[in-house]
Amino acid sequence: MAVTLEYQRINVSRGGRPVLVDIDLQIAAGGLVALTGASGAGKSTLLRVTNRLIAPASGRLLIDGADAAAEPGPVLRRRIGYAAQGVGLFPHWTVADNIAAVPWLNGESRRMRTQLVAEMLDLVELPQSFASRMPAELSGGQASRVGLARALAARPGLLLLDEPFAALDPETRTELADRIEALHKAQGLTTLLVTHDLADALTRASRILVLEAGRLIADATPAALVADPRPAVQALIASPLDQARRLVRLTG
Amino acid sequence: MIEAAAWDRAIALLPDRTAAHLGVSAAAVGLALLIAVPTVLAMVGRPRLRSAVLTAAAVVQTVPALALLALFYPLLLALSALTERLAGFGVPALGFLPSLLALTLYALLPLLRGGADGLASVPPATLDAADGIGMTRGQRLLHVELPMAAPVIMGGLRTAAVWTIGAATLATTVGQKSLGDLIFAGLQLEDWALVVTGCLAAAALAIVTDMALWRVETGIAARRWRKAGLGAALLAAMVAVVLALWWNARPPDSAERPVVVGAKSFGEQYILAELIAARLREQGLAVTVRSGLGSAVAFRALTAGDIDLYVDYSGTLWANALERTDVAPRATMIATLRAELPERHRVQVAAVLGFENAYALAMQRADAERLGITSLADLARKSGRLRLATDTEFQQREEWAALQRAYGLRFARLTAYTPTLMVRALTGGEADVMTAFSSDGRIAADDLVLLTDPAGALPSYDAMLLIGPTRPELARMLQGLERSVPVEAMREANWQVDRATDKRTPEQAARWLAARIRDR
Repeated sequence: MAVTLEYQRINVSRGGRPVLVDIDLQIAAGGLVALTGASGAGKSTLLRVTNRLIAPASGRLLIDGADAAAEPGPVLRRRIGYAAQGVGLFPHWTVADNIAAVPWLNGESRRMRTQLVAEMLDLVELPQSFASRMPAELSGGQASRVGLARALAARPGLLLLDEPFAALDPETRTELADRIEALHKAQGLTTLLVTHDLADALTRASRILVLEAGRLIADATPAALVADPRPAVQALIASPLDQARRLVRLTG
Repeated sequence: MIEAAAWDRAIALLPDRTAAHLGVSAAAVGLALLIAVPTVLAMVGRPRLRSAVLTAAAVVQTVPALALLALFYPLLLALSALTERLAGFGVPALGFLPSLLALTLYALLPLLRGGADGLASVPPATLDAADGIGMTRGQRLLHVELPMAAPVIMGGLRTAAVWTIGAATLATTVGQKSLGDLIFAGLQLEDWALVVTGCLAAAALAIVTDMALWRVETGIAARRWRKAGLGAALLAAMVAVVLALWWNARPPDSAERPVVVGAKSFGEQYILAELIAARLREQGLAVTVRSGLGSAVAFRALTAGDIDLYVDYSGTLWANALERTDVAPRATMIATLRAELPERHRVQVAAVLGFENAYALAMQRADAERLGITSLADLARKSGRLRLATDTEFQQREEWAALQRAYGLRFARLTAYTPTLMVRALTGGEADVMTAFSSDGRIAADDLVLLTDPAGALPSYDAMLLIGPTRPELARMLQGLERSVPVEAMREANWQVDRATDKRTPEQAARWLAARIRDR
């Protein structure tokens, strides 16, 4: 079931320097929210506060109304789907073992896990024969799909994606983005997507959060963001917008 | 060419020495692993500790293994004295324990480095994924970091094993049986069959161990359990052989510890140790010989009871055991040592053997006669035109300073050589005078004359049989050796083991010497 998130005055600092400043934010169940901004703006940090890979110096995070700090981090994280930046499949495990990692941590039976792996391979549109492959035998796009399957295997209500398209070629990227959008809807997820590429955010998300130097400077739908006259926001969307205009001109 | 008999003798030593070698190496690597594993785990996520530990291990590595072994001996002696006082028993300071500890320290660096580098080689994305899907620290370490680091860790283990097997040859110098026994004795006696056999056996041991570990490593990495199992089985078989050999070699339960005769690492010492051992065996005692002891180790080993008796030289004892810096006449030194060694070190002088192994200057007989030189005083008058060949340490020794003071010796040229080349320099005409040891076999063989020392500038080095506090009754049994070995007989015996052709073993030379003594 999709979850709601409520960030209350979250502050994070690293080495004495603020990374997130007074983040107040509510995310409704079922949202596909893009977190964007320049590198170092704090978008990955905000994502990692969400599953407590980073504990905020002050402030609270409520997940479905309950304080996220109330239970041990690992237990919380097993209920939240997480696709790490760079995928990070375990290279010494088969694809099946990678996908079934969280159910395995949760003590699910082998039979149950085998069944789950089959389902997940279908969900991410990979052939069943991939179950026995090793990660080194996969292309970048295939590895990303396995990463996505691993994140979804324990049927989370919240999916966190950290730069899922970073190292993919444009075609693969579009396919994966389509798949994510479809799964987001079909699985009834709340999805947080960190991306530095505003084109992804604008075309896929229902809501876009823009961070700058640890502060939330914009929170809008894609249409509203494009219309935002502030120079900081315009600077951010100028490049993808310009690219899109050129493409439109080309195609006539 | 090396005779067949020499190979047979060398090979006969192999099973026992290989087992001891492998035993001490395996124990050292095992102990190092016990230390390295928790240390590496403690270093995870602590970069300061990590660099401090690795630096310390690297510093240890720069200490030559030989020095490291020698350092542990006095350290353990002090520890032994401490436990003796506190708990009523001493720890053994010679043999297995110092070897184990020094080799363990030596094996630590590759293990620590392999562990630290292995863990550092896990990509951050993989660690992030492991944390992100909800693994605990322990699960991440056990299921992700250690398996991924395994190849590098195993590489470190292989390096540690090979280094340790190599360095264990040096354990001979602190009285631990090893393949180094063959190498050290062989080098001293120029018995190349011993040297080659010892080196090849050590190399083979290292290669086989490395191969077995490699099989385990690649087998695990490729999840090919049969291959990994084969490697593990090979290692287990090696350990089983060691245990079997040790079990066989253990002393019978009821028998008391055999008498241990010590010997430093040169031919004369090997011969005398065998001579003494044979005498004691004739009187019904069980005797073993621990040869190849470092010069600094031998006297301490005696006072600590790690060996029961050995032969040392008055000049050495004068300086080291009595801490005297003056030079006294020969008879005074002997009398003083006889009186003071029992008081200060509980060591008795059982016999003064009757010959000296002292520094002297030697010339070819023809040259000495032509120039009319018989003493150092004669030499001083002509030395300005003569060339002196010395061994590598003589020019730094007190003896050389004493000679210059007493006689005003000044040579046209001074050159340092290794012992063999020094003799060649003299016989080949590149030098006119050389440093020599008075019991050296080459003196008679090369027709050299030793120059007398009328001023008594050089300290005397009378061979003395010392009995330690552990077996005082041995003194009585060996009194017959008093003044029994004339220098000519010792020279001849030394020559028998030193010469290149028709070489004898120390045992054979000892038998010859024993017969020669009895004839008198």
